Amino acid sequence: MNKAYNPIWARNEALRTAAQRWHRRGLLPLAQLQAIREAYPLDFYRPNIYLQILLFLLTTLGYLATSGLIAMSAYELFDSVLNWRGQIKIGVVTLAAALAGQLVLQRLITSSRTYRAGSDQALLYLSLGFAAIAWQAFVDAALPNVIDFLLLDSPYLALWLLPMLVMLLWATARFGDALLAALSYAAVLGLLANGLLQFGSGRLVLPFAVMAVAAGLYQLVRYLAARTDYWYYRSCFTTLEVLALATFYLGGNYLIVREGNAAIGGLPVSTQIPFAPVFYLLTALVPLFYIWQGLRQHRRTWLLTGLVALAFSGFTVRFYYSVLPLATASALLGAVLIGLMAAALRYLRTPRHGLSADAEDGSAERPGLNLEALIVAQTAHAPQAPEPGFQFGGGQSGGGGAEGQF
Amino acid sequence: MHTDPFLAELRDRGLLTPGQSAAIATDERTRPFSLHYEIRTLLYLGITLLSGGLGVLIYEHLDQIGHGVVVAVVALLMTACLTYAARHRQPFSWGLVPGNSLLADYLLLLGCLLFLVLEGYLQAQYALFGARYGLALALPAVLFFGLAYRFDHRGVLSMAITALAAWVGLNTQPLAVFKNDFLTASVSRAAIGLGTVLLLAGWLSETQNRKAHFAYTYILLGGNLLLGAATAAMFADVLRPMILLLLLVLAVSAGLFWYGRRVHSHIFLLIGAAYGYVAFTYGLGELIEWVKLGFPFELVLFYFMASTAAAVWFLTHLKRLAGTAAHEQGI
Repeated sequence: MNKAYNPIWARNEALRTAAQRWHRRGLLPLAQLQAIREAYPLDFYRPNIYLQILLFLLTTLGYLATSGLIAMSAYELFDSVLNWRGQIKIGVVTLAAALAGQLVLQRLITSSRTYRAGSDQALLYLSLGFAAIAWQAFVDAALPNVIDFLLLDSPYLALWLLPMLVMLLWATARFGDALLAALSYAAVLGLLANGLLQFGSGRLVLPFAVMAVAAGLYQLVRYLAARTDYWYYRSCFTTLEVLALATFYLGGNYLIVREGNAAIGGLPVSTQIPFAPVFYLLTALVPLFYIWQGLRQHRRTWLLTGLVALAFSGFTVRFYYSVLPLATASALLGAVLIGLMAAALRYLRTPRHGLSADAEDGSAERPGLNLEALIVAQTAHAPQAPEPGFQFGGGQSGGGGAEGQF
Repeated sequence: MHTDPFLAELRDRGLLTPGQSAAIATDERTRPFSLHYEIRTLLYLGITLLSGGLGVLIYEHLDQIGHGVVVAVVALLMTACLTYAARHRQPFSWGLVPGNSLLADYLLLLGCLLFLVLEGYLQAQYALFGARYGLALALPAVLFFGLAYRFDHRGVLSMAITALAAWVGLNTQPLAVFKNDFLTASVSRAAIGLGTVLLLAGWLSETQNRKAHFAYTYILLGGNLLLGAATAAMFADVLRPMILLLLLVLAVSAGLFWYGRRVHSHIFLLIGAAYGYVAFTYGLGELIEWVKLGFPFELVLFYFMASTAAAVWFLTHLKRLAGTAAHEQGI
């Protein structure tokens, strides 16, 4: 598979990052670091994250405006020359916009050497999105009697989803983009659910099938990471690993299984599910296993997925059993968290079991303080006094928004 | 280890000595696994949950015995947090103070949050400050500014700025500058004024070397407040003349853009360019309206196509012309 970006770029970038780390850890003198940097130049263009966002937004706006221009002129042409049906017209126009986007993207990469700079990603995502709309319009035109072929249990869903999966796999292999890899996996899961829901008993095995696919994906990622261009696809591998862990957990989560079962069956209120004890056990144990593995084998993907999964398990319990009033629970949980972290800081004052509480590079300045100040400005407020006459009105008790630190 | 091939290659090319290569390989294997960000995130989450929970609890069960316990717990916790932070304080300096204890920093933040909880409760229940609401709002601002400078804490600084804005009657949460209620001329003027003051404070911190690392928070919150309020006032047509507002937004955007390039803080580039682009486009539309030129929708699309393409080109080539090695920064 030919790659859109020069694979040397990814490798040089990773090598320089590693060299920078060795330098910060005092293992590599500055002169040698400079020599390595000269031997492995970075000749692609990728600005800071904020400029990437800006480039992404600007390119999206420009691409949409251009597509609008194309569409308006094309519609006039169609109306005067050809008498096609609506879906065909939409399909042709969006397909043209998709192809034009891919062409511009190719030119952009070769001429400006952009490598995930925001502008190229906007073109990539939007052009594939246009292609998806085009194919949907064509399928729609080919099946005039089928109304909702995009529903999860529609027998015609695969007609649209299977070509999308092929397109996404092609694009992932070519661009090495994490979002496309995630979408490919979502398409696989969609096809799996669609296939199983064609049978009456399929709904029963769906959770186990999802868990099996997740386990399979994890194995596949490990296989591919050892045998393909690891650095070029690194973000894909990390994303897929997290998704495999997350879907394995969610496939066995009691809340997801119970409510999903009710949603698919069209029940107004969810009822107890078969094999409930199995799901209780999975909901409780899988997050703990992830965290333990993450700490033992030093795998951040496991640790973070485990922490988020643990929070979701807590939510699952609260969803069905109201253990304590929300405010009391929140205060107690907060106190426990602070106590645990204080103990962890004290315990890890000197690194133990290969774990440390210091920042990775051991620099004196704690990184990320500016960002933290912004999060404080956004989230740190005391709940207001309730209005007189109301029993108890406002007051924000949640700690949402604190997760976005990474 | 995925970096092993790198080591072999660098050794073969003579960029590393065999001894270094072996030392690095050992370090890569034995380097401790850092839980720094995880601990910080969970600490912050714990602080938010605890103060949020207590802040709600303090108003519940007002007529029951357990209620006094909650008030006492909040007061005791606040004292304990501030005492802990005070005992772990470092000597004061106008520069960056290294080596602050991580736990002390977060407990200081918790102490400040609990102060807000307690003060709000005392005012609501016992009308401690009577009708002098201004004093009730100014007190936390003064206290937090003092604590932020004494303990060199950027989180407390942003709480101080938020409290100051509340005293003026505004909301400075970064994502809420458009949501200031009752957008009137006086609110807009206050927001623009406070934004200017904060921008100046940031600029002075940096140029006078008085806590230069506080400049980021000042300028980001102040610039966002000023630009957001001015843009909203422009759209809602509450302040006149429009042309002055437009020029103000364009000038401040350009200033932020220039500042962002100077200090390599690219979030300012993003904010400056985004507000500037919106203001410029709006001004162009008003101009065309004013001249009473009829213009078709295609022209609007064409404008967006041409202007975004120009902006992307400009930004892509800006870094190259400047020659600032963005990659070196990023690593």
